[in-house]
Amino acid sequence: MAQRIEVKPQRRHARIAAALSIIPGLGQLYNRQWVKGIFYLLVAGLYLNGFANLFNMGFWGLITLGTEVPRDNSIFLLAEGLIAVLVLAIGILFYWLNLRDAYKTGEAIDNGEAVISFKASFHNVMDRDYPYLMVSPGVLLLVFTVIFPILFSFALAFTNYNLYHMAPANLADWVGLKTFAQIFTVDIWRSTFFSVLGWTVIWTLVASTLSIVLGIFFAVLVHQKDLKFKKFWRIILVLPWAVPGFVTILVFAGMFNDSFGAINTTILHALGIKAIPWLTEAKWTKVALLTIQGWLGFPYIFIVTTGVLQSIPEDLYEAALMDGATAMQKFRQITLPFIMMQMMPIIITQYTFNFNNFNIIYLFNSGGPAMPNSTAGGTDILVSWIYKLTLKSNQYALAAALTILLSVFVIAIALWQFRRSQAFKEG
Amino acid sequence: MKKSVLIAAVSTLGLLLAACGPSNSSKSSDTSATKTKSLTVWADKDKSDGIKSAVKQFEKDNNVKVKIVEKAYADQLESLRLDGPAGSGPDIITIPSDQIGTATTEGLLKPLTVSKATQKQYTDSAMQSQIVKGKVYGLPRTIETTFLYYNKKLLSEKDLPKTTDEWLTYSKQQVAAGKYGLLALWDQVYYAGGILSSYGGYIFNKDAKGNYDTSDIGLNNAGAVKAATYIKSFYDAGVFPKGILGDQGINTLDSLFTEGKAAAVISGPWNIQPYKKAGIDYGVAVLPTLPNGKHMRSYIGVKSWNVSSYSKNGAMAEKLVKYLSNKQNLLTAFKKTQEVPAVKSLVNSTAVKNSIGAETVAKQSQYAELTPSISAMDQVWDPANNALQVINTGKQAPKTALDNAVKTIKSAIKANKK
Repeated sequence: MAQRIEVKPQRRHARIAAALSIIPGLGQLYNRQWVKGIFYLLVAGLYLNGFANLFNMGFWGLITLGTEVPRDNSIFLLAEGLIAVLVLAIGILFYWLNLRDAYKTGEAIDNGEAVISFKASFHNVMDRDYPYLMVSPGVLLLVFTVIFPILFSFALAFTNYNLYHMAPANLADWVGLKTFAQIFTVDIWRSTFFSVLGWTVIWTLVASTLSIVLGIFFAVLVHQKDLKFKKFWRIILVLPWAVPGFVTILVFAGMFNDSFGAINTTILHALGIKAIPWLTEAKWTKVALLTIQGWLGFPYIFIVTTGVLQSIPEDLYEAALMDGATAMQKFRQITLPFIMMQMMPIIITQYTFNFNNFNIIYLFNSGGPAMPNSTAGGTDILVSWIYKLTLKSNQYALAAALTILLSVFVIAIALWQFRRSQAFKEG
Repeated sequence: MKKSVLIAAVSTLGLLLAACGPSNSSKSSDTSATKTKSLTVWADKDKSDGIKSAVKQFEKDNNVKVKIVEKAYADQLESLRLDGPAGSGPDIITIPSDQIGTATTEGLLKPLTVSKATQKQYTDSAMQSQIVKGKVYGLPRTIETTFLYYNKKLLSEKDLPKTTDEWLTYSKQQVAAGKYGLLALWDQVYYAGGILSSYGGYIFNKDAKGNYDTSDIGLNNAGAVKAATYIKSFYDAGVFPKGILGDQGINTLDSLFTEGKAAAVISGPWNIQPYKKAGIDYGVAVLPTLPNGKHMRSYIGVKSWNVSSYSKNGAMAEKLVKYLSNKQNLLTAFKKTQEVPAVKSLVNSTAVKNSIGAETVAKQSQYAELTPSISAMDQVWDPANNALQVINTGKQAPKTALDNAVKTIKSAIKANKK
């Protein structure tokens, strides 16, 4: 502390350098870092020159979303505006780095230290900052391929972009939270929302749990020491995973056909059971869907669990054997805790995956069968329902708003679970 | 200290940006100045042969280059939304008439100037489909509608039942013998709508000016309920198996016919080739008459040539559309592609009469009507199909189900308005 006060009056260089760096490079020049100064000046010039038009059009477009048809296309302007925001954010980051650099070097001069030469700072970048240098292309890519689309759909939810506000005849506008309010006030959506949400939750819990339990069960079974032809069993059990999911689902849709499917006409017929209305009664469609997802989902869990089982130390079981533990006790006290600890993240992703498992619901029976007094089919989950509600009638803003609500829900639950699980604690 | 510097820097930057401001002249709105001497036409998939000779002649007469690209006609509008503003879009597209309403709402189509005399040469409903709020947005090219296919091996032309009641009796006999008689997708409004309409039901009524009135929906009037009850009797009698219900039903129906297990199906001209390929010796006929003595109606689909509003050479594109849609060129196209031309004088021509599929389409067209080509139609399909399905599976009585459907449609139209 005392030392700091002593140094303070001598901070002239640092302050002047930082102030001069408002135009990037000047501070560095003032600090007699000629190459660096000119380099910064050049980069800043190129940045402003190169992106001036983007900023001009982008920010204007982002605020107004266009003013004149058919010249302006709201959606393109929105995209351009968001790119401008991202480019500006990156610019500000480097601008801040530039200010900091000028200030730090000035401080070094104030303290009577030697100014780092360009060559030395280049070496610094290659040595000390090497990790940043290596990840930066990836991060840059991430910004435009992941963050940009998220920002875009997020922004879309606050506009009124739909059939009546599409280019080239019309412009979209910012409407704030109106679209969100619409979700809760329009009765056709509100009345169906909760019944769909209910089934979505049941679907997520049962379908995921079923595949997890099946996967772990088979893995433990095949892992038994006395079992012969282990490789053979493993191959058989992984097979459902080897066929592309959508093919399997379509084949199953044929097999479950009420009148002509093999399940009713052959299997159940042979057992003397009357044909079951798999595709026309919602409760049977649900049973069929859960069974199929169990079949499609368990091989992945099976493989991962098999891996985990190999890593459980054998002596734990030997000790348990000494203590006279039963097979069940061994499983509950040793095997299961090991599996759970290591597989928690994978298990959680199973749940989030099924929450949004559009493919199986839509391919199997298009969310059907039809239900009386409902805008959703009997097996529609939230995503497939949103798809039906919005994209068929070009309600893009509404789709974006509903997607945000869904994401918030899924992210919240996933985060809560991840934080509770052991797997991420050591890092 | 450092912070205040930062704040100062950022606010300067902000001021700098504000000073930049929006300049309205940064983009020119005048695009017609460019004089490109080339046009791009998106033709329907596998159908470009029909226009090749006409396009060659047009190129010669007008000294332009025309590029033809094949693209499934139902997807062209979707592609135009992105390709149009990007500048890589076509000048001319061909789309189904039920997309005209959406396309004009978005402003994707350029209005054309077509004389009354030219309009008159097309069949009325086909021309009607291209007119929105008094403006003509395209010229009809071909028409299609659903009709009856029957398997000649199972049913000869003279034994063909003429009424739906006769079909019901015939189908019951077939089902008793472990086969199927007539099959149709009457849980979907596209197929069942014709019956509803024959009984007096309608989707949207038209006001005095001929515009659709979206507040007047006739899917639950007395006629519609009667029709739905009649449709249900086919499912109740077990002549329509449950396996053809729902969105996947169409595949089951097609395979039952191509496997020779069903004697007859109701389908459209898109199956003329596939059924032939499957080796079925089939005949075609107009749809049977209903118990009230009226012909079963059907919906008519029109494919048209339209000019993109993004076209940089709109006048020339309009000229080409008119040229491609003239009588002579539509006849040439018909000979190549077997798509029934939407021209009155051609519908009864010998060329069309000699092609069985085409003749039946032309005949059935007398009893066919357009699906309303307004964007509110997007809100009709799902609730109406939903109602028909719950009726036919016996989950709800026809009257209640149709009442609910109309309520849902009205509410959806309201929610999807501006």
